[in-house]
Amino acid sequence: MSCCHFAKAPNRRDMLRVSACGFGHVVLSALAGRDAFAARDLAADPWNVRVPHIAPRAKRVIFLFMWGGPSHVDLFDPKRLLNEKAGKPLRGKDVGSDRDRLGEVLGSPFAFAQHGQSGVWISELFPHLAQHADKLCVIRSVHTEGSAHGEALLRLHTGQANLVRPSIGAWVSYGLGCESENLPAFITISPPRGHGGVQNYGAAFLPAIHQGMAIGSAEIPVAQAVVPNLTHPRPESGSQRRQLDLVQAFNRDHLSESGGDQGIEGLIESYELAFRMQSTLPQIISLDDEPSEIRELYGVGTEPADNFGRQCLLARKFAERGVRYIQVSTDYTWDHHNKVQEGHIAESAKVDRPIAGLLEDLSRRGLLEDTLVLWGGEFGRTPMAENGDGRGHHPQAFTMWMAGGGIRGGLTFGSTDDFGYRPVENPVHMHDLHATLLHVLGMDHERLVYRHAGRDFRLTDVYGKVVREILA
Amino acid sequence: MEIPLALALILAVGPVAEAGDLADAAGGRDHWAFRPLAHTRPATSSDWSRSPIDDFVLTGLEAAGLKPGADADPLDLIRRLYLQLTGLPPDPAAVQAFVEDKGADAVERLVDHLLNSPQFGERWGRHWLDLARYADSNGLDENFLFREAWRYRNWVIDSVNADLSYDRLVLEQIAGDLLPFSSIEERDRKRIAAGFLVIGPKVLLGNDVERQRMEVADEQLDTIGRAFLGLTLGCARCHDHKFDPIPTADYYAMAGILTSTQVMEQRYMLGEQRVMERLAGLGEDGDVLDGIYEEYWRGLPKMKKTREQAGSLLELLKNGEATALEEFVANHPGAASAGAGDQAEPIEKRIEAQNGLIAELDAAISNPPPIPPRAMIPADADAPGDESIRRAGQFDRPGDKVARGFLGVVAAGVKPGIPEGSSGRMELGRWLTDVEAGAGRLTARVLANRIWLHLIGEGIVRTTDNFGRTGEEPSHPELLDYLARELIDSGWSVKSLVRKIALSRTFGLSSESDAEAYATDPDNRLLWRANRRRLEAEALRDAMLLSAGELDLTRMQSTVWYLGDQATAVGKNEVRRRTGFSCRSVYLPVIRNDLPELFDAFNFADPHATTGSRPRTNVATQGLFLLNDKMVIEAAEAAARRVLKDETSGGAAARVDKMFELILNCKPSEDERQRVLAFIQDAAGKNLPKQDEPDAEFRAWSMACHAMFSLSRFQYVE
Repeated sequence: MSCCHFAKAPNRRDMLRVSACGFGHVVLSALAGRDAFAARDLAADPWNVRVPHIAPRAKRVIFLFMWGGPSHVDLFDPKRLLNEKAGKPLRGKDVGSDRDRLGEVLGSPFAFAQHGQSGVWISELFPHLAQHADKLCVIRSVHTEGSAHGEALLRLHTGQANLVRPSIGAWVSYGLGCESENLPAFITISPPRGHGGVQNYGAAFLPAIHQGMAIGSAEIPVAQAVVPNLTHPRPESGSQRRQLDLVQAFNRDHLSESGGDQGIEGLIESYELAFRMQSTLPQIISLDDEPSEIRELYGVGTEPADNFGRQCLLARKFAERGVRYIQVSTDYTWDHHNKVQEGHIAESAKVDRPIAGLLEDLSRRGLLEDTLVLWGGEFGRTPMAENGDGRGHHPQAFTMWMAGGGIRGGLTFGSTDDFGYRPVENPVHMHDLHATLLHVLGMDHERLVYRHAGRDFRLTDVYGKVVREILA
Repeated sequence: MEIPLALALILAVGPVAEAGDLADAAGGRDHWAFRPLAHTRPATSSDWSRSPIDDFVLTGLEAAGLKPGADADPLDLIRRLYLQLTGLPPDPAAVQAFVEDKGADAVERLVDHLLNSPQFGERWGRHWLDLARYADSNGLDENFLFREAWRYRNWVIDSVNADLSYDRLVLEQIAGDLLPFSSIEERDRKRIAAGFLVIGPKVLLGNDVERQRMEVADEQLDTIGRAFLGLTLGCARCHDHKFDPIPTADYYAMAGILTSTQVMEQRYMLGEQRVMERLAGLGEDGDVLDGIYEEYWRGLPKMKKTREQAGSLLELLKNGEATALEEFVANHPGAASAGAGDQAEPIEKRIEAQNGLIAELDAAISNPPPIPPRAMIPADADAPGDESIRRAGQFDRPGDKVARGFLGVVAAGVKPGIPEGSSGRMELGRWLTDVEAGAGRLTARVLANRIWLHLIGEGIVRTTDNFGRTGEEPSHPELLDYLARELIDSGWSVKSLVRKIALSRTFGLSSESDAEAYATDPDNRLLWRANRRRLEAEALRDAMLLSAGELDLTRMQSTVWYLGDQATAVGKNEVRRRTGFSCRSVYLPVIRNDLPELFDAFNFADPHATTGSRPRTNVATQGLFLLNDKMVIEAAEAAARRVLKDETSGGAAARVDKMFELILNCKPSEDERQRVLAFIQDAAGKNLPKQDEPDAEFRAWSMACHAMFSLSRFQYVE
């Protein structure tokens, strides 16, 4: 643990800021509420943007999360030997494992080709994405711990599994602050409810305003997703403003009697913002104002891409409005212990066009320059067969890709052995990925710390190394 | 502001010494939290004070050139007392009786009444549940339901109501399963208390057994350290604590006690053998029933297999395939009934016999035994023993063994005297509150500070769970020591300390601000006035339901019985985040990673870890909840029905008064009455859609009640 960096407790500031996510009283909560003395002198105001440690290359992140674990050897990391040795035993010594026999090799039925000027290898399952090959930095040597989904999801999202830690989006929100008046800094669209659930977008001991706002959840089509309590359930809702005027008049009286109590002031503000959000948020969430050409670009209205297309388009709308960290998740559908071929054909078809549409749209609007797009699952899949035609969980090596702000496009980074079992060149641990992501946003992962329970915590614990080779 | 305050407050964290010296346990004992309790007398005494508590506070105020503000208005005081002691606002009759009570001991009688009401334990038990990271599910990676956790929750509530002394409360939670008992009920009650050790969150899958053992112990040590001792022991897992005098050896000395304790067991769950939280049967025959229940689930796959084979065998019988039949019976002895294999019998008889077996198997399969009464209960490990230091905290890098024991900084050279073959939890449980040779002084300071926080609104030490060097220093160190001594002298009676503080003049101050005092001490650290506090999630909901006449004060057992074994199952789950009970909020389901919106929005304690003081945030989701949540609207409607129910002679104006009394515990001013009346007339008159006209009056009143719930005056305690 990073126990060694302590700063003195900051002085309290009398300051009140209004944003989508927190109000004046929050400012005090970190000080008064518990032993959460945020390190660094800016901590008194949770929305104060922490000075960038490094020149930022991106202002926001869109993470496209493929829940269940996509197979790297079927999508981005072609292995000739898998097909040559299909059905033959994979021995531990072939891939540097202690175990004698790991299972039978399962070949990949998919054709790979090089794309773009850079010649990035992409499987036939991603024809639309392939057109953006030169934007992608494909990292083939990612590795993590946790061979069960729950542990791997928590490590991917929070860096740890056995203790509750803030999620990466919450860290980004804490580090960069909130840009929008009407939206929080961290939004997660259709997040998984299992495998750590809320913890994967939670704030843990960071101030609660940094928790991700969830829109729907993975098992519900995003078109049916609701933000809780956004509408009044009764017919008199038309009189709500008049009712609120009465409430606020009483509350302002109370505020003035109290000599300007910040809690009461915060309460008053929270009603006003909530009232505004009732009309602005549905507007943003609705895709009706998007031209049909754009909707088509994302595959909205076309099965099987409609749902993920809507999610990606929503992500772009949030990105435009200043949200710092946006996660888009598939349902729990990439976990193909059986029939990995059919499964991957079906799942790729759901996301290929939406992802390509997102990259195209961001790029046309000039947003890709300062938006980091990250793609991947909680782990990869085994080169060996499971149940004859499926693949198991594989945290030892898998592929993720990045695109956009600060990242070298058209690059294939790191490599795995001949079977895709272990990283060979330039291994990138999940902590390294986190460190790199913060770096691109202008934050030094060793200096983005939060003081809690008597010590400083950081996303990468005592680990993490920025992968400089992939930076533009 | 710093200069005058600095005279009275020593808030700044002292200069940080070289890390190397700090882990020296003996040398670290000069830190204020580890020193003996001071026997200081307050420097000031005046007519203003009712008790030494007030003298200490007054001394601090006077040193900064301040004086205490006015006493609270009786209406504010009774609401404050009710909400702080029971979590519920007073009803109009109680308010009236109190206001009219001119007896000198009116407050005292009220406080005693509240301390003795069962609602006290529901409020103060919940404070403890925050520390105990209580939950009805595991959380983390596999969110299995803790079907039996409620027994521990209710044990906490009962124990607080019975004013079980804190030293017993600690001992029973650490070692209740090891304590002697004179009846099965007593045995079970103590065992349930020790569920404290079992209810923590644990990574369940993909985990090495040894790693899991160390991680479970780490989680328990973290909880014990922060909840009882106000210390962050976790830091010493990997290296000597950099700032507190806790060497790694001390960490593993304590860890050995916990790794000598079992809180996990192999159980059959959702189709496979898993490592789950440990359960044990309750009552005379609990273990037998538990055995039968577990046996059923363990044997179910085999029973199903046998049933399938018995079916195949029946087919062979029917088809008269004699050779195949003989072979099948030989290979699957359990699948054939005795009669079916008897070749001397006619085929019809044999078929009948086989059908009989199939019916028996079907009946056995489709009739699982009921879940027996059981609870989450730890046990000493089969072979308790000392633990090895794990280098850099890595479970697979064992170093030297350390004899089991406690923290040297608190009491040097104390040999725990753990008997052969036991974990040492009995000794740990006693050491935590042992004032002479154990951590008792520190434990008393930590607890006294928590009680102060819950009554006064801010801790004397604001970092309630961190009394180490990186925590804050006390604003009133002598007062803290006085309270700790009072606690110990009263035989660790929580109720008695609550009573003393609640009856102090300091507690009864008005929350009114004062520009001059504010300029000197804006944070009110010196307590020149009462802290204005917002209702917590539970009190907010309970207060709404109570004033609506919809709150059922009956205590609840489980509120999660309808959930599946996976509390947050992937896929559709219509019953999640359920709050539609009429019971008090303390009984609502606490599903880790799936808290109800009410809890999520209003800063409920994260049930994954000890929370001594909840965060206080003001966010838009709270506004949305209050404006639109169905529970809020329904409570407002019920309140409106209550307001409209009785004929009153005073007409609408009298109804407004009644509404104020029910919801805000006071009468409106004339101006307020007129503003509310104008709103109701307006809303009932012209602002509703045509089809709702018959309802217009009711709807207008329910909007008015809803407005009352939305007032800061409702949501704050003065």
